[in-house]
Formats: sequence, C-alpha cells, structure tokens
Amino acid sequence: MAPPSGAGKRVKGIQIARPFIYGTTARPFDPKTNPKPAGVPDDHTHSWTVFVKGIDDTDITYWLRRVQFKLHESIPNHVRMVEAPEPGKPFEVHETGWGEFEITIKLYYATESSEKPQTLYHFLKLHPFARNEEEKEALARNGNGEVISWTYEEQLFNEPFEPEGGVLERSAMIPLANRPGQPFSRETELLEIKKLRDAQAKIQDMVEKLQVELKEKEERLRVMRAEAVAAGGKA
Amino acid sequence: MSLDVREVLNIPDSGPRPAKKQKTAAPRTNLKGLAREVQSLGGDNPIAIVPEVSVFKKRRFGSRKPAAKWELRRFTNSARGDSGALVLQHWRRMHEDVSHSEDQMQDVLSQADQSAEGGQEKIEAPEDSTFAKFNVQVVVPQYSEDQYNSNLQNDDWTKDETDYLLEMVKELDLRWPVIWDRYEYLPKGPPAGDLDGADNTAVIPVPKSRTMEDLKARYYEVAAKMMAVQKPAQYMTKPEFDLYEMMANFDADEERKRKEFAINTMGRSKDEAREEESLLLEIKRILARTERFTEERRELYQRLDYPHTDQDISIYKSSQGLQTLLQTLMNVDKSKKRKSLAEGVAGPTPTSAGFAAGQAPHQSSDGPGNRRESIAASATGHLRRDSLVSATPATPADATPTSAADKKKKGNAAQFERRKLSEQEETIYGVSHHDRLTSGPTFRYEKINKLYSHKSGQQQLRITNLLTELDVPSRLIMPTAAVTSQFELLWAAVTTLVDLRKVSDKVDAEIKLEEALPGSSGAHKRSASVMSATSDKSSKRQKK
Repeated sequence: MAPPSGAGKRVKGIQIARPFIYGTTARPFDPKTNPKPAGVPDDHTHSWTVFVKGIDDTDITYWLRRVQFKLHESIPNHVRMVEAPEPGKPFEVHETGWGEFEITIKLYYATESSEKPQTLYHFLKLHPFARNEEEKEALARNGNGEVISWTYEEQLFNEPFEPEGGVLERSAMIPLANRPGQPFSRETELLEIKKLRDAQAKIQDMVEKLQVELKEKEERLRVMRAEAVAAGGKA
Repeated sequence: MSLDVREVLNIPDSGPRPAKKQKTAAPRTNLKGLAREVQSLGGDNPIAIVPEVSVFKKRRFGSRKPAAKWELRRFTNSARGDSGALVLQHWRRMHEDVSHSEDQMQDVLSQADQSAEGGQEKIEAPEDSTFAKFNVQVVVPQYSEDQYNSNLQNDDWTKDETDYLLEMVKELDLRWPVIWDRYEYLPKGPPAGDLDGADNTAVIPVPKSRTMEDLKARYYEVAAKMMAVQKPAQYMTKPEFDLYEMMANFDADEERKRKEFAINTMGRSKDEAREEESLLLEIKRILARTERFTEERRELYQRLDYPHTDQDISIYKSSQGLQTLLQTLMNVDKSKKRKSLAEGVAGPTPTSAGFAAGQAPHQSSDGPGNRRESIAASATGHLRRDSLVSATPATPADATPTSAADKKKKGNAAQFERRKLSEQEETIYGVSHHDRLTSGPTFRYEKINKLYSHKSGQQQLRITNLLTELDVPSRLIMPTAAVTSQFELLWAAVTTLVDLRKVSDKVDAEIKLEEALPGSSGAHKRSASVMSATSDKSSKRQKK
C-alpha cells in the first residue's frame, strides 16, 4: 500500500497501544544440555538470544517492519538488521559470548504509519540475579538454566496518521492468565496494580503521620521562638 | 579391452585409461574361475551376462560361522506378583560371553533334566521376563481425609464412592469402558443395629447408576485438584500444566454429545450419508451465491440512490449538457483513481449537498459556466462523501466495515470521527482518547522514565530507596495503562512524602538551632525567614 500522500494529517487526541515483549534469554554452555557448537571461541560461556515479539506470540509485523539490534562492538558484524519474520515469529538474533552489555534495539515501523524509528535499550543478562531467598528458589525451580530477562512494553502511537496503518483492525488484548513461558497477562497486571495500591496506602499512612508530626514540631518551634523573643525582650 | 588382450596385441597403455579401468574393475574382483574369464572378454564395456547363480549357494556355504546356539533358560515374571513362585522356561539365544566349548550344547539340551535335579547354580537366579516392564501401574491421586474435606467435597459424590471409584481406576488401569462395566457401588446402609426394627427391603439403598462421563468427570476433577494442591499451577512444567488443564477442562456434557454424535454418524445408512453430503454441498453453493447476490443488490441500491440536488439541473437536460457533465465526472474520476463505489449506501441529504458544494473549489461566482461546474462538483462531492460515510453502518449488510477498502481511502478527519468505536472495541483495539498528546510513536514506560528524570539526583535516590523499601520492583513488570496510572498515583504520594521529610528535617534543624542559641536575636531573625519559606512549601504541598 502506498503511503498516504504528503503523510496525511494526524488524528488528534487518539492513542493506539500495542503490547509487545523484548528481552534476552541466555543459556550457559553445558556439555549435556547445551553443547557448544563448533567454531565458538573457547572463552564464550553462554549462548543467548535477543528478541522482540508480540505478547503470546501474536503477530506484530503489521506495525513493526524491521528491527535493528546493535550489539557490542567486539562482536563481528555488530549491527544486525532483522526484517519482518513470518507472523507469530519473533524478531531475534542468536549469539554466543561471555560478557553482559547493553543492546540497542531500534524499531522501524510499518511504512504506512510513516513514523520515525524509535530506540529501546536492553541489558543482556547472562547471570541470574536474585534479591532474596525466595527469588533464588524460583530461579532454581525454573530449572533448565535459562537466564531470562524479558521486558513487557507497550508501543503507543500518539495521534497516528489518518489511515492508521491498519493497526486498528487488530486486537491488542493481553491474555487473561499466565502459562509456563508466558508470564505477562491480565493476572500479572492485576497483581501489580494491587501491589502498587498497597504501597500507595502505606505511603499515604506515612505522609499523614509525618504531617501530624510536622505540625507538632512547627508548633513547638513557634513556642520556642516566642519564648526566645520574650527572653530577648527581657534581656 | 582387458589387459591380457592388450598384452597379446602389444598395445601400449594409454595414460588415463588405467585409472578408469580400476574403477570398473572393482565390482568384478570377486568373480572366480570361468565367470571371470567370460567377463573379461568383454573388456571395458562389461557384457550383459550376469553370473548370478553362484550367489545363493555361496552365501550358504560362504559364511563359515558356527550355528547360533540356543539354550533353554528359566525365567520368572515379576509382573505376576507371586514373587517368582512360577518358573517357566523359554529358548533364548546364548550369550557370546558364555565361552564354553561344544559340549555346552549338550549341556543346554539336557538342561531340562538338570533343572529337575536342581543341582545347578543357574537355577538360583532365573531372569525376569522382558515383558515385565510393560506391567505399568497407574498412579492414582492420593488424598487424606483433610484434603478431601477441604478440596474435593461434592454433593453428588460421597467420599466412600470416590474412594471406590479411585480403587476401580487403579485396579483396571484407567480403562474406562471396563471400569464403567464393573462399576457396582453399593452405598453403605445404616449400621446393622438399625436394621432390626425396620423392614429390611426398605433400607437397602438404590445404587446410583453412573455413566462413563460421570465417572470420568469425577476422576479428572479429583486428579486435577490434587495436582494443583501438590504443585500450584504457575510452578508446573509445560507437560504437567497441559495435563492439568486438560483434566480441569473436562466437560462431561461435551463428551456425551460427542459420543451421541459419533453414534449417530456411524449409525446412518449409506443413503443418508450420501444425502447429507449432497446437502452440505448445496449449502455451500447457496452461501457462495448469497454473497454475490448481496453484492449485486448493494450495487443496485447504490445506483438507485442517486444524489439529489436542489440546484438547477435544467442545463444538463440537453444532450450537450449531459456530455459536459460526463466529461467533468470522468475527469474527477480519473484524478481520484477510481474510488470504489460499491459500498456506502447512506443517502446524501440536502445539507450534505450544500456541504459538498462548499467543498468544491468554484462556488462563489454566479456565471452559468461556473455554476455548471459547481453542480458537477457537488455531484462528485456526493460520490466522494458516500465513500466516506460508508464506515458508519447504514444498513445491516454494511455493519462490518470492510477494512481493506477503508484503508485504501485517504479520507479526511471527518472519516475518522465518523468511525466511532464502542468502548469495548476500544479496549480490544487498544485505542484511547487524550486531550494533549505529543504526536509520534512512544513507549508506555517512557512516561515513568520522565517522572524520574524530572527529579534531581538526590531526590531520585530518595525515591528509589523508598520504593525498594516498599518492595516495588525498580521497573514495572507490566506497564499497561492501568498499571502506569496506578504508579503515577504512587509516585505522587512518594514525592509528597519525600518533600515532607525534607521540610520535617529542616524544622528539626531549626529546633536544634533554637535550642543551641537561646535568646539570640540574630539567629532568631534568620531562622524566621527560613521558617516562613518552609511553611510556604508545606502549605503548597497540602493543596496537592
């Protein structure tokens, strides 16, 4: 389809959101479960994949045309351009290596949308990180040694150009429940909202307490000052 | 040509030939005697006679291996569950490692007698049958009394009957037809003491008849629930989760229907089957035709629904006028690359005619030529408007906007405005309305990043510390619209708290200062000014 002549007009006050996931999945080399393929340098310890995909593997190629992954300079051919795969498949790059670094992910949108490419940054994670025992346990349960660093994000098209690139005809629904290997859903969302709400309530509590305290202190300060003035007057 | 002939005729070897010959010679090397002679007569192009006769005999005598040895071996079958009481014998090929001489043969043959005597060491360890491994036991869910009471209560099933069912399942290895056949649960009657007084026949409870689906449904329910009790669903591995989901979603009614349907399908006669098939074909044909039919009808409506005009059309009544009109229309048509007129049934109203005329470039002057054009323009304006309006569902047939055609149009803002989505559709399609937007693509999380970047470094640190204290992850897990707005609320609260703390710290410092310098007027003056500033701030904050 040809782009709209003169890029058309933007539709005021409209925002279109599309959920997607980006991130990395890394696996340490292991003679048994993940043997090192031939030709990989000796010091490489992990194989990893960086990807951009639709939530629940839905098609995103209708709004995302291609993705550029900028890897570390030490990796041969470190700027990788990935064209739209077949619908439902992720945009991805497989690599091996030993170090963690920041990957620059540049998204190029469908031509019809006439939007400029946007950049995301993602830190490649090779080593699992757990803040407390509970998380460690969860990591161990995960079992297969994969180090997952996935990020949920929503692409917002603010005031899209008029023919809105056919984006409107597709659903932007988030799955209702979690499945193994698919941690993002309404369920997670609700949990997070609840968590935030609890945190907010706690903060509100603290604010109120502090306000009362502050009033008392100010009162005390006033009294002290008055006394000081009185004392000064006397002196 | 063979080497022999070459030698006889004294022909020297030419260069590349021998190499070639070696290749062709390779398969012939195993020929012997007369056969080889005959074959070599053919030289480089082998003759078609294939000496095959010898192969059969050769193979027979060729392999001079000794005949395989077999022995009569004793075995038990652990699956019998009689702890090896029954010992049977079967012929097995002898192992290589049994490196006995020929007389072993005799040994083996006379094994039967020997075993009867019971004098040999082999008898002590008869091997287990290779088929024993196929005796797989079904793992039936186990539950304790408490677990049953908390999870598995069911009005239709008593615990006794559930136990009975699980017992049957275990015994019959989940073979449902057999289980259903044998299923004879007799509810326990009241204790024997009560039987004395009453009429015996009255108290014998009637066994409930259960269909296979009932049994399955109950079993799967129990199994799925116990699975979930032992391991919460989010920790299950993929195959486990699949199994769990399958069992949890078992629908007895659906299953019953499926069976009924299958019985009906299998029970129909040949004629009925044929008739059904032809009916299906007929339906397909009818459906295909209706599509075309509605299409045609829509086009017809389109044509009938010509745009009205309240302007003077008398100038078009002459043939020359018509010609001009046609010409104008065609020009406009060409410039628009033929918009599809097929859809869009909404009839234009007189006001829209005015609107269209207003859109036309020449409308102000009153000269007849200009006027003509303006009418033509208004007419095309109608056409164009028709296609614009098409998105609004004018007739039921048009209720679903044909997206492909819609996309092709480069309409104006009016088009988008007309295409109102219902609230539900908006959530499905992820559309929302905002008052102020900076146009262009962004990411949802950017908004939160901005919240951070608007604060000073010191404040950022304080805020992040607070958030970690509250166990809010440093990055939202799912920054959806709802989550981010919730986070913004939290953010506002947190910043209030941080600011309040700052003020409170300041006041603390003031108090200390006041305590340290009692009655010093200079200190008092300075602190007063600070004080007023801080109170200003706090009052501002309260307003928020």
